[in-house]
Amino acid sequence: MVQDMRLIELKGVCKSFGDTHVLHDVDLYIRKCEFITLLGPSGCGKTTLLRIIGGFDMPSSGEVLFEGKDMTGIPPYKRRINTVFQKYALFNHLNVYDNIAFGLNLKTPEQLGVKTKKEKKDEIARRVGRMLKLVKMEGYEKRSTDALSGGQQQRIAIARALVNEPEVLLLDEPLGALDLKLRKEMQLELKAMQQQLGITFIYVTHDQEEALTMSDTIAVMNGGRVQQIGDPKRIYDEPKNAFVADFIGESNILDGVMLQDDLVKFSGTEFQCVDEGFGTNAPVDVVVRPEDIMIVGEDVGMLAGTVESVIFKGVHYEMMIRGEGAGESILWKVHSTTMQPVGTRVGMTIVPYNIHIMRKATTADAVPVAQAAEEEA
Amino acid sequence: MKRSWYATPYALWMLLFAVVPLLFVCWYAFTTPDGAFTTANFREFAKPRYVGVILRSLKLALYCTAVCLVIGYPTAWFLAGRGFNHAQSLVVLILLPMWMNLLLRTYAMMTLLDDNGVLNAALQALGLGKIHIIGTEGAVLMGLVYNYLPFMVLPIYTVLKKMDYSVIEAAEDLGCNPLRVFTRVVIPMSVPGIVSGVTMVFMPAVTSFAISTLLSNGKLRLAGDLIDYIFNQSSNPNRWNIGSSFSLMMLVLILISIGFLRKVDPDSEGGGMW
Repeated sequence: MVQDMRLIELKGVCKSFGDTHVLHDVDLYIRKCEFITLLGPSGCGKTTLLRIIGGFDMPSSGEVLFEGKDMTGIPPYKRRINTVFQKYALFNHLNVYDNIAFGLNLKTPEQLGVKTKKEKKDEIARRVGRMLKLVKMEGYEKRSTDALSGGQQQRIAIARALVNEPEVLLLDEPLGALDLKLRKEMQLELKAMQQQLGITFIYVTHDQEEALTMSDTIAVMNGGRVQQIGDPKRIYDEPKNAFVADFIGESNILDGVMLQDDLVKFSGTEFQCVDEGFGTNAPVDVVVRPEDIMIVGEDVGMLAGTVESVIFKGVHYEMMIRGEGAGESILWKVHSTTMQPVGTRVGMTIVPYNIHIMRKATTADAVPVAQAAEEEA
Repeated sequence: MKRSWYATPYALWMLLFAVVPLLFVCWYAFTTPDGAFTTANFREFAKPRYVGVILRSLKLALYCTAVCLVIGYPTAWFLAGRGFNHAQSLVVLILLPMWMNLLLRTYAMMTLLDDNGVLNAALQALGLGKIHIIGTEGAVLMGLVYNYLPFMVLPIYTVLKKMDYSVIEAAEDLGCNPLRVFTRVVIPMSVPGIVSGVTMVFMPAVTSFAISTLLSNGKLRLAGDLIDYIFNQSSNPNRWNIGSSFSLMMLVLILISIGFLRKVDPDSEGGGMW
């Protein structure tokens, strides 16, 4: 894998529909052979961004570069990009075979590396056969697309796009209509296909778990801006702002004060942490993941609280614990494999590197969060 | 009560006013006025003047269907377009002439196309000189197109309107330029609408009645006019029998054309989509 080759680069891309600003000044680059996910709540602009890359919408300003060359104004049919649409968009006047062969049929024999029309037909048959095998739909060639289940239609839509051997495959929430089990299967299959074929995948979803499972890189979007770009682990462990922390996984987000480097105060208690450079006595957002809070004996913890509710979640219990302490009392969400009955008084401990400090939404780079909150209200 | 019972009034109506009369038509077509079996009635139509009428009917109906398709498809495409907000009112405008009686419409057409009519007055005002159109096949064709065009636009519009726009984007995505999007996806996917439209224009056009007589000053008769003539004006003592056999032949002709259209689109009900 060529790690640092920038295949697609977006520079200052803005998009408005009338008075509605959907994208604000998006900068993003996509490396060759990367699986990148645009992740965000509905209305965050992720689908619009995908459509701009695909050529279905033009940016209002800014540019889209493909291998360094400006793509603005080049229609979709001239781009080496294929798309898997949200509702599959299969051609119901054609059978499964002809749906997959659609793109290849449009090409000249030379483009397929053969000479005659007869050879073209054979080449198409070979490639379609290979795709049907890849998506595990052999034997369905003559079926009508209307006679397929959602999962099968999805596979055909993927095969129809991949058979053209695009440089980039765009996927717009392709698994949204499938049931949970099938969705999990398809996630792994898509990831395996991407690695096997060495094609760049740009994937749009609002499902953070899906994004974490499949992606090499995640771009978290909200309010038409990219909030954070990074690999899944980094996004999860080091969310850049409260929005990302809240959207990716579950979080306790608290008001705190950074007293000095490596020392933060929240919930009326001072904690050691590993963050520096915030200055002294700076107001900050503190994020603690529910699974990073350890329940200990009621008198030995850094914090104390009383269990208010317990929900069994399969692998763990989710407990809401009402903290005790000076000032306002905080309701902590805690994940633990051991259950504490409602009403139990417990102690809680957090190790320094599990305390994530981020700037308050008053500083420049966190403005989108505040804006997003306004838009949702 | 079983659901099928609710259709009883319709079934009775059809039995009384369609099936039974059709049986009468068959009876008359194959008998002499004395009630003896014969196929002689059908042989009447080997006469050149009758053959000519049938051929003219078929020709004009085909032309009419073709013109309606050529005018109607782009219209339907325009009306069904995304971001066009006045589609509903324009559809009403297309339907508006149908709210008027067919004869009234055709009389209006006569005054438009007359040698001293509106069209010629306009042409003269533009300094282009008069054209003689009333009484020609051209005038009849215009009359047919005018009357049956809405039947072409509406079914195609309905199909195009229902078409998912992402299908068009998918075609572009897979390498279709705008022309190929149209020929490879839009037209094939609108075949059910085209079949409906063609059926609903061709069938009434081939059996149309009065339009031709009026617009040709009685010079050009079509199949419908001929049947009318045989039943009502001919002095032939066999007129009911000959007229019936002619009606029967037209029926077979229409059945054949429906059969042909069903081959193009097996899902269609021979144009009964609305």
